[in-house]
This record gives sequence, C-alpha cells and structure tokens, in this order.
Amino acid sequence: MMEIENQTELVRLCLEAAGESRESIEKWRRQRRSLERLPAHLADSLLRHLIRRRLLFPSLLEVFKRSVEVINLRGENYVDGEWLAYLGAFRYLRSLNLAYCHKISSSAIWPLAGMISLKELDISRCVKVTDAGIKHLLSIPTLEKLCLSETGVTENGVELLSSLKNLSVLDLGGLPVTDPVLSSLQVLTKLQYLDLWGSKISNEGACVLEMFPRLSFLNLAWTSVTKLPKMLSLECLNLSNCTIDSILEPNEEKAPLVKLSLSGTTFVNEAEAFLHIETSFLSFLDVSNSSFNSFCFLPEMKALEHLDLSSSIMRDDTIEKVVCMGANLRNLNLSNTRISSAGVGVLAGHLPNLEILSLSGTQIDDVAMSYISMMTSLKAIDLSNTDIKGFIRQVGAETDLVLSLTALQSLNHLERLNLEETQVRDAALSPLSNFQELQHFSLRSPSLTDTSLHPLSSLSKLTHLSICDAVLTDYGLGSFRPPETLKLLDLRGCWLLSEDSIMLFCKRNPQIEVRHERRSVAPSDQVGPNRPSLSRISLRASQMNKKPEQLPLSVCFIDQRLKYSREELLELQYSTLSLELPHDNDDQEVMRLE
Amino acid sequence: MKKEDTVKLISAEGFEFVIDKEAAMVSQTIRNMLTSPGSFAETQDGKVTFPEISTTILEKICQYFYWSLQYARGKETDFHIEPELTLELMMAANYLHT
Repeated sequence: MMEIENQTELVRLCLEAAGESRESIEKWRRQRRSLERLPAHLADSLLRHLIRRRLLFPSLLEVFKRSVEVINLRGENYVDGEWLAYLGAFRYLRSLNLAYCHKISSSAIWPLAGMISLKELDISRCVKVTDAGIKHLLSIPTLEKLCLSETGVTENGVELLSSLKNLSVLDLGGLPVTDPVLSSLQVLTKLQYLDLWGSKISNEGACVLEMFPRLSFLNLAWTSVTKLPKMLSLECLNLSNCTIDSILEPNEEKAPLVKLSLSGTTFVNEAEAFLHIETSFLSFLDVSNSSFNSFCFLPEMKALEHLDLSSSIMRDDTIEKVVCMGANLRNLNLSNTRISSAGVGVLAGHLPNLEILSLSGTQIDDVAMSYISMMTSLKAIDLSNTDIKGFIRQVGAETDLVLSLTALQSLNHLERLNLEETQVRDAALSPLSNFQELQHFSLRSPSLTDTSLHPLSSLSKLTHLSICDAVLTDYGLGSFRPPETLKLLDLRGCWLLSEDSIMLFCKRNPQIEVRHERRSVAPSDQVGPNRPSLSRISLRASQMNKKPEQLPLSVCFIDQRLKYSREELLELQYSTLSLELPHDNDDQEVMRLE
Repeated sequence: MKKEDTVKLISAEGFEFVIDKEAAMVSQTIRNMLTSPGSFAETQDGKVTFPEISTTILEKICQYFYWSLQYARGKETDFHIEPELTLELMMAANYLHT
C-alpha cells in the first residue's frame, strides 16, 4: 500500500492542502472531470488522507466512485449502512476493509452484492453480520480474500462460502465451523490461507485439510484437533493451546514448515511431537507455556532464527539443547523460565548472531552480565523483574564493588535495554554513559533518585527513556539535560514531581513527549479526574494487601510497599491531584523487546 | 541569462514559461528528458510541451520549482496551494514526479 509519505513532495503538499478543512474540500469536490481522471493511487491516497483527518462523510464518497480501488476503514466505528450505500456504486473497488466497524450489519453490506471488481473484503469483528450477510456476498465470485473472524456468521453461513471458488485467503477465526462444514469447503482448491482458530473442528474434520493442495498457512489454535493429516505445501502452522498427538501423519515426504506456533500446546508424547515434520527449514518456533520437558527436538532445528521458550520448563540442565542448534538464532525469549546465571553461562559464546534476548522474570543475577557480554551481536536485552543489582562484591575484598553493567559496554550494537523492576540503584548506573548506541532504556524502581539521570545525558542516540516509580524531584528534572535525540520520556509513578516542573520541562524540550499522571491531557483522555483521592488511596492499600496472596512474592510487591510508607499514604490523602498506579502492561509495551 | 541555462515549458494552451534549467530539474521527469542522451528532441532545443497541463497549473508548477530550490537552501517558508488547484496540480506533480 502506498502511504502519503511515499508520495513525491508536491503531491504530498497537494494532498494536505486538499484535506485541510471542510471548506477546502468544498473548493474541489465539484470538479467532476478532474476527479474522474485521478489515477487510482492518487485517489486512494486522497481518500486515505481524508479518513485520517476525519473529514470524510458518506455523500463525499460519491466523487470517488470512478477512481478509488482500495479503501481501508478498519476501526472507523462510525461507518454505517449509509457509507456502504455509496461504496456499492464504486466501479473499480478492489479491496475493502471494514474490520471493527461495529455498526455494519448484514443488511448494511447488501449494496456490495454483485460488485465483481471486489477481490478483498475484511469484515472481521463486525458482530452484526450474520448468515444473511453472507448471502449478499455470494454474488461476488471474484472474491479472493475474505475475513470473517468473530462475526455473527454460523456454520450454515460458512457452508455457503463453497460457491466462492476463487478464494485463496479465508479467515474464519472464532466462528463455529464444524467438521461437515469444513468438508463442504473442499471445493475451494485455491485456498492457501485458512484460519480456523476456536472452531469446532475435530480430528475427523482435520482429515479434510489434506484435500487443499495449495494450503500454506493453517491456524487451528484453541480447537480439539489432536492429529493432523499430511499437508505437503504447509509452511505456517499454529496449534497453540491444543492437545496434540502427532502433528502430521507419517509420510515419506515431509512438509517444509517455516513457522510453527505451539504456545500452550500439550503433547501426548513429547518424543514424537516433531517426528513427521521436516524441521530443518523451521525459522520460527513458539513453544511458550508448553508442556515440553526435555526439549530433545531443538538440536535438529538448525535454521531456527526465532525461538520463544517463555514460561516453559526450560532449566539450566536443558539449555544445552539451545546451544546445539544456536548459530542462526537471532531472537531468544527465555522470560519466566527456570534459567539462572549458570544457564546463561552455558549459552555464552555459542550464539554469535543473537540480536534479541529476554531473561525477564528469571533467577539470573549480576554474574549473568559477563556471559551476556559474550553475545556480541545483541541489540536488545530485557533483564526486567530479576535480581540484578548492578554490582558484584569481590570475594575477599568486602569494600571493593565491581559494577556489573560495565560488562555490557562491549556490546557495540546494543540499542535497547530494559532494567525495570530490578535491584539496580543510582550508583550502579554510571557505566551507562558509555552505551553510545542505546536508543531505548527503561528503569522502574522506587529506590532510584535524581542521580540516576546523570549518566543518561551523554547517550547521544537515546530516543525513548522511561524512569518509572522513581523518587525524582523537581530539582532533578529541572537540571536534567536530555540527549537531543530524545522523543519520549516516561515518568509515570514519579510521584514527587509537580505539575509545574513537568510543564517547565515540556516547554524547554518541546520535541519530547512526556508521560506522567500530572501531565495535563485532553479532557477526553482523562479518566475521572475528580474522583476523591481518599477512595483512590484505599483502593491502592487494598491492592497491596491482596498482592502477596495472589502472586508469589515478587520484587514488584516489595517495591510498592517501600514506595508508600504509612506517613506518605496519610499525606497523599490530602493531595488533590490524581496519582494513578502505573499501568504495568502499557509500560512493558513501550519497552517490549521486539 | 545564457540560452543553454534555461528551458522553455509550454502549456496545453501554448503559453511558454522560460525558467532556469536548474529549477526545471526539480522534476525527475524533466530531468530525465533533459539529461538522457539524444533520445528526446527536448534535449536539443530546450523546449518541453505539456499538452495535458493547463497554463494555471504549469505556472504553479514553475513557482514550486523555485520554492523547492530555496527550501533546499534553508529558506523555510510555506508553499501555499489554493484548494481549487489541488486535484489538477496533484496529477501534474505525479506526472512530473516532483
């Protein structure tokens, strides 16, 4: 898809001028002859620009009916039947995306009936589209791609799809597709992509899958399928959260799988799990949350680049298996496994191409740092939720502390580092000033103070910085000289900062987006700003009391308790400003190692 | 101004715009016409005719060429486009690859 950014400079200026305001649209919308001559890619760009600027309305669509080929209205939930009444008249429309447009119903898509220019239609998550809606689509035999996941379509509606003989991509995720219905779709011999997650398919129905000669992508996650027939063209397979007997039938030829997702999958017989798969081409394997114990299949997978072992039972004594296969590995996720520093030591020196490593939530400590520093291609490291302190006490000399982060200075490509929820204190951060390639860095701890900001000023490529839950003061923020490259500063949970000092910082550094609870935001973004602070605090207090029962004792819990002493809580009662608990998920997303 | 340093752009209605070659080269399409060896008649006599581009639009295009040169030299001004010209100008810009 061509975006506005890809256009030449003057075309881009024209698009912006055309979509400046409602008034500017009125100036050109009657130039019918020009509109009809617009090349499709310009018309598509103009329409996309108007959608993005929220300037498009149904009757304006009319002027595009002889030029536009691609329309993406995904997530524009104001789109309703009136819009489709106009879209039905589009002569050359090839691709229409209406996913998440909740107002779209079966009758709303009636105008699409007979639009034989249409090749791609996405109405995923339009819950009001039912079997009646499918009947309207049957008059579009040109359809090659149809996405119906999580609509109101039943098995009867899916059965009707067998007349759309040109389908090559069919997404039926979350629909109650049964074995007989899947069997009736056998006539769709052009199918290459079939998504059946959460369907009612059993082993009986799965046998039919053999009949699709071109099938290369198959998703059967969350189904009761336990074995699969042979499928020789299969490249991507998702069996997450299934209980699996055997992945494919014994056969002389094996499917050349490239991508395999087995997240949360249980295997009846672990040793035979991969017996009938050609694993030497596999480049992506997700076995997170799975029941595997010995991982004896790993050494065979020589081409693997992406391996997700998070929340599996990978231990120090089985990590050897990763070493055997390691040379091509670029992305390794070991978060929430039973790996300790000794396990990382086993990996050291054997993963020359590893770029992304996550050890979040493992038992590693500072000893692991020197092992990590031997993985010389690393670009991103996640060490959050670990016992890392940032220093090692030298044996014998009690006063002599070695800063463990110094070891990472040898990683010349390091762009992202996550040290959230660790034991790292201000003093241990000083080696950071030498991390010259670092772009994303995040910390979260109530033990950090203004001093932690000092080494960060000299990071000349830093774009994203997050220091959450720290005891930063107005003075500290005021004297912080952020690197010129910084775009985002996340200070959520730094409860001592005042609104004024944050405002001042924003004024001085207009190019930086600052996130903080006291940063004034648009009224619509504010959630209940006038709630009495008392209830907020008691809520937090009750959360703290509950936490130890719900979760194993974590660093996070200790931090929260440290963060608010009794006196502070009493003080906070009188604070009129809101002080939300930081949203853990949001923060992790900012720094997720991807 | 020497003749070989200029180029003549001719609109659909026959209006002639004489502009610097350097400015005209902002357009990738015109640059290709003027620099490709021999194959275009335009290369020899420095004249390019645009039967699809009206005088109003071609004038705006020429203004853009000069604005673009100045902008590249660090003069940060806005290039104003009248909304009623956007569609035709967009098509011309697309054709001229500028």
